[in-house]
Amino acid sequence: MKIILELFGASRDFSQKDYLEFEIKDQISIKDFKEKLLTFIDEKFKGNNDFKKIIQSSVFCSEKNEIISDNYKILKDQKIGIIPPIGGG
Amino acid sequence: MLHTKLIDAKEKKLSIIEAENFISSSDFGASIFFSGTVRNQNNNKDVIGITYDSHDALVIKSFEEIYNETDQKLNIKDKAVFIEHSKGYLNLGEISVIIAVACKHRDEAYVLSRYVIEEIKKRSPIWKKEHYEKNESAWLKGNPILNEKN
Repeated sequence: MKIILELFGASRDFSQKDYLEFEIKDQISIKDFKEKLLTFIDEKFKGNNDFKKIIQSSVFCSEKNEIISDNYKILKDQKIGIIPPIGGG
Repeated sequence: MLHTKLIDAKEKKLSIIEAENFISSSDFGASIFFSGTVRNQNNNKDVIGITYDSHDALVIKSFEEIYNETDQKLNIKDKAVFIEHSKGYLNLGEISVIIAVACKHRDEAYVLSRYVIEEIKKRSPIWKKEHYEKNESAWLKGNPILNEKN
């Protein structure tokens, strides 16, 4: 299945596009998806520590615009968003 | 009564006049206007502008939640609240956020205005990228959003 990860804030530095695409074999929890993302940073950005910290301190949101927990399982093609630490105003 | 909007800086500038038009009513005796603007210094660095990024749907949802919970948490029932936030690139001095509130009495208005901006800072998915001289820039470290469902 295909997971499209929409990028926001500091995570926009992960790509020149607004999103990343991942092809995943089986259903996956957000917790495990985070691990996939960390591996992606290892491979693509030589383990850039700042990028890894962004992932570790982020939450994720579903297509329905709800913040989802680490236990949330992605079962089919889906678009999710990464929400790094915030600070508007 | 609530108005919320994210404004693309390329299309429009935030306007205190629009905020005033929205909240003004003879039902209310007190109004507070808060505006946040882009300043030229942060953490001992000279700032020349800020890019604001946002998750639009979640931001609007958070504005509505913040407004709705003031009934119970602050016990302020009769009120008008105008919240607009910019997204995109802003120059020094430009307005990034306007929060205008009107209530029956000034005590409520001060409390409500402060509550709304502090909660936005904590909960609304908006990010700032500061721009400096020599084409340098950096995303500001923010506060992690709490995962309510964990």
